[in-house]
Amino acid sequence: MNEMALLQNYLIVGGLLFAIGLIGFLVRRNMIVMFLCAEMMLQGISLSLVAFGRFHGNLGGQMMVLFIITVAACEAAIALALILMLFQRSQTLDIAFWQNLREEGQPRFVDQQIPEEIEDEREWPQLTPAGVEPELDLEQQRHRTRV
Amino acid sequence: MNLAGFLLAEGSEDAACAWCQSYPCLASLSCWGIVAGALGLLLMLPGGWKRGRYLGVLLGCAGLGLLAADLPWFGDLAHQVFFWLLAGTALVAAVIAISVRSPIYTAIWFAISLLGVAGLFLYQEAPFLGVVTIAVYAGAIVVTFLFVLMLAQPAGHTVYDRVSWGWLPKPFAVIAAAALTGLMTFAVASLPSTAPIPTADPIAGDTATSGAPDHMANLGNTLFGTHLVSVEVAGTLLLVALVGAIAIVIHGKQPQLPNQGVEGARNDE
Amino acid sequence: MDEILKYLLCITGLPLAAALLIALLGPKLLRGQSHWLALAAALGSFLCSVLLLLAVRGEISKAGSPHGFEKVYNLWTWADVSDAYDQRITPPAEGSGSVTGGLHDFQIEVALRTDALSAIMLCMVTFVASLVVLFAIGYMKGDRGYWRFFSYVSLFIFSMTMLVSVSNFALLFVFWEAVGVCSYLLIGFWYEKPSAVAAGKKAFLVNRIGDFGFALAIFLIWTTFGTLNFHDSDAVQGAAATAAASPEVRGVLGATRIASDDYVVGPHGQAVLLAICLLLLLGACGKSAQFPLHVWLPDAMEGPTPVSALIHAATMVTAGVYMVTRCTPLFTASPTAQMVVACVGAGTALLAGLIALTQNDLKRVLAYSTVSQLGYMFLALGTGSMAGIVAGMFHLFTHAFFKALLFLGSGSVMHAMGNVIDMRRFGGLRKRMPITHLTFACGCLALAGVFPFAGFWSKDAIVAAVHDKAHVPAEAHLAAADTIPVHLAGYEVSGAPAEHSGSSPYASIYGWLYYVAMVTSFLTAFYTFRAFFLTFYGKERIPPEAGHHAHESPLSMTMPLVALAACAVFVGFTLDSSFADFLQQTPSLAAGAVTQTTMPGFHLDVAVISTVVALLGIGSATYFYLGDRNEIARVGKAMKMERRPGLAGLSPYQLSLNKFFLDEIYSAVIVKPLQGVARLSYWLDRYLVDGLVNVCGRIPPLAGLLMRSLQMGLVQFYALAMVLGALIMVAARMIWAAN
Repeated sequence: MNEMALLQNYLIVGGLLFAIGLIGFLVRRNMIVMFLCAEMMLQGISLSLVAFGRFHGNLGGQMMVLFIITVAACEAAIALALILMLFQRSQTLDIAFWQNLREEGQPRFVDQQIPEEIEDEREWPQLTPAGVEPELDLEQQRHRTRV
Repeated sequence: MNLAGFLLAEGSEDAACAWCQSYPCLASLSCWGIVAGALGLLLMLPGGWKRGRYLGVLLGCAGLGLLAADLPWFGDLAHQVFFWLLAGTALVAAVIAISVRSPIYTAIWFAISLLGVAGLFLYQEAPFLGVVTIAVYAGAIVVTFLFVLMLAQPAGHTVYDRVSWGWLPKPFAVIAAAALTGLMTFAVASLPSTAPIPTADPIAGDTATSGAPDHMANLGNTLFGTHLVSVEVAGTLLLVALVGAIAIVIHGKQPQLPNQGVEGARNDE
Repeated sequence: MDEILKYLLCITGLPLAAALLIALLGPKLLRGQSHWLALAAALGSFLCSVLLLLAVRGEISKAGSPHGFEKVYNLWTWADVSDAYDQRITPPAEGSGSVTGGLHDFQIEVALRTDALSAIMLCMVTFVASLVVLFAIGYMKGDRGYWRFFSYVSLFIFSMTMLVSVSNFALLFVFWEAVGVCSYLLIGFWYEKPSAVAAGKKAFLVNRIGDFGFALAIFLIWTTFGTLNFHDSDAVQGAAATAAASPEVRGVLGATRIASDDYVVGPHGQAVLLAICLLLLLGACGKSAQFPLHVWLPDAMEGPTPVSALIHAATMVTAGVYMVTRCTPLFTASPTAQMVVACVGAGTALLAGLIALTQNDLKRVLAYSTVSQLGYMFLALGTGSMAGIVAGMFHLFTHAFFKALLFLGSGSVMHAMGNVIDMRRFGGLRKRMPITHLTFACGCLALAGVFPFAGFWSKDAIVAAVHDKAHVPAEAHLAAADTIPVHLAGYEVSGAPAEHSGSSPYASIYGWLYYVAMVTSFLTAFYTFRAFFLTFYGKERIPPEAGHHAHESPLSMTMPLVALAACAVFVGFTLDSSFADFLQQTPSLAAGAVTQTTMPGFHLDVAVISTVVALLGIGSATYFYLGDRNEIARVGKAMKMERRPGLAGLSPYQLSLNKFFLDEIYSAVIVKPLQGVARLSYWLDRYLVDGLVNVCGRIPPLAGLLMRSLQMGLVQFYALAMVLGALIMVAARMIWAAN
């Protein structure tokens, strides 16, 4: 097996993963999606590191990846807690809402291009919001067999 | 040797024009692959031209194929196919993850992408990492994400999920990413293809790279031997993050009427 | 410490201490009692001045010197710059015996001097000041700025005594300005009154012109003579010890230079000297209110009347006369400058006399009479003869007394009339204010020059000196210089017409000036008694503002009046040999060309003529203004040229009443163009300079506007910027590696 070529392949794939994550991070507006994209970038790095470790024949790359996973876990904890807090304050996950760091007098950056809801794609999976009692269908309740 | 060379006739290389020779990077397939992929991604991202998404898929596939064709072969065809199956899973799932509108789908596709990455780890004789990735990432972190989505996501899919940043940021981001990839590809391609295979690192042990049964033991030795301090630091970091997350949740709550923030936010918007 | 130095320090130090103490303690502690400090300081100063005068007199009689008597004390060195100037003018030849040290070094020593001139000035200043302070106790009673007034007055006394005591042109300038500041502060003492503020400003600005000339003169003096000191360096007390080490510096007015008459230096010496003299004269004109710059003095009457008496009649305005007298050797060396001095003096005297004829404001009449009398003094100094200078100084001396008396008298009237000063609104006050009336009469007689009052002697001496200058040839002076001059005795004009060719080249001009002086003498007598009769005679009229004040002033105000009246009567008799001889011991007068001119003498014929003229003036004033007569109305009608309405604005009466429109002319010729220039400058500054600056100031915000849009507060934008930056660095690194 051509180790050099393998390394090249892995680096390219890792780089692509990183680039895709980068694009996602830069263009998506949902904070949680942005965060997932950041994790994706980390995956790309991890791939490269593992490939390097194999190429050099030691476990250094894998060690790095282990620590990356650790840090990612911490990051996830903190970031999700923050996102929750931000959501509780603004009732939105839109990153565009949080523009207060901008220069004084600078208008808000508003993306005008908001397309219409696409009708045929209305079937979205949806999780029941936590902490909210699901609406009971009384009809269904009535006909439900009792155990 | 790569797919392009495998497919193209030997003699056709003579047909390379002077233009191609003076700009070798433009002549390479990977360059055009990156351009095609970038264009495809641009079309696929949410908030764009609705019909363009299919074109984007086509372009993305073509770009990935071109890029893959330009990469050197490292083994026999079976290895290659297996590798590209895993890599394709990871990359395609990643692209879908950033393209779909619903954050829930994003999380799910991200998990699928993680599966591909885990497979690549396994292929790289890093079974522990592969398992950990699946267990920790796909199992724990993504599930946490889903929990948070459940807590935070308003009913329906929102405006900000249907769009990505508009005309200026999106092309910029794609161009930046494409340029990054292009640079990297260029750098990787310029590596000497016949570099000597480095010998095993004496520090890491003779059997470090082998997929031998004592792989885990080696890993453990290295982790708790060479990198013991780092482990301690990482542990402390985890603890601090834990405490921090709890503190944020406890103290970050705004002492105000729940509707006020909403109103203010909406008005501000 | 030397006895004389002690006196000098007391004379100047006491008022300074009083000024500071009153300024510090006045507002809270002293308040209504502030005058005690000022009075004590002024009286102490006066006492020391008298002692100093006696001491100087004793020293002179002990050891008479051909170069006069002076004592100079260096207190400390204020400025000391070595090699300040490369003296290009050729120093005197080696063999001449004079030493040229100090020409390169700029040095200002705080040096006090005493000689006959400054001793007399000190006595006069402190005496009048004491009486004025005493008068002000009553006059200023109950004023809100009571303590402030006495602080200013003390400061003025300090400045004035220093002015006449310093022995250096630079310090002279400093205290010249200091008295100007005090004058400004006191004119604008009632700073709530807009007219007082305007008058103060006017005085200050007009004086600036004169001071500018004075400053230029000082620069020229330094570049020409290499020093600003009056005295030779070996004249300094205690200098003997250090004399060997440092080279001798010949002072501008030092004995050595005067004796050798070394004033024409360099190729353009005469022109430079003329320039110096004229610039000094400009300075003197500013301070002493002479013709082009006299406009401030009448307006300065807005100040409290004691201030008018002290500063604007007796002391400060004579600083110019003092300075010209002090610089006599310079003027003697430049006959043209002397002639200009005389012309300016005579012209001012006549002009001010004409204006005073029609003024209705009592203090303004007195102010113009002050200007006129100062003109007399300049006329006397302009003769350049010993007789003239002594006469000028003597007139300064006597004028201080009777003019202070007149001003204090008018202050007393003002006090009684509730600050009304318009002569048309009161009259016939002689019954109500007998003391003021009598003392005022003494002052008027003295001012008019009636025998035997003080003004008679001094004015007569001036007129005689001008007459001599015009008619006595220089050879006769030389002949007379050898003989002991006869004082108070007939001194017939011995010059024959044939000898006129040998006299001064400007003899004919002086001849005209003689007649100008005579006419002015008539005018003086007339307007003085016009004011006197209008105020104290006729039907009794009292303005309603007076209220129940319309009675004689308190003792503290009448006491100075009586003292000054006594002086006005008797001080004229001191013009005997003692005054002249004493004054001649001043170094500036003791040697050089001045000594070769006529000694002061008494001309019976001139005296008779001027007395007749003065009596004529008084007589006509009596005829017109005493009692109810219609003649004045007829004369007034003629003077107003009412038959020709087109020219009524330029009738003699209107010209006089409106001060020959000098204020208006100045306003049109100087003030308005300057305002235009100022407006232009303002416009340029506002729109051009500021515009440029503003444009420069707007550029960074504009640039910032471009950059500011980058700070949009979006996390992703920052991330994008970071990625782009990283990209550029990676690309750079790769290109670098490839090459």
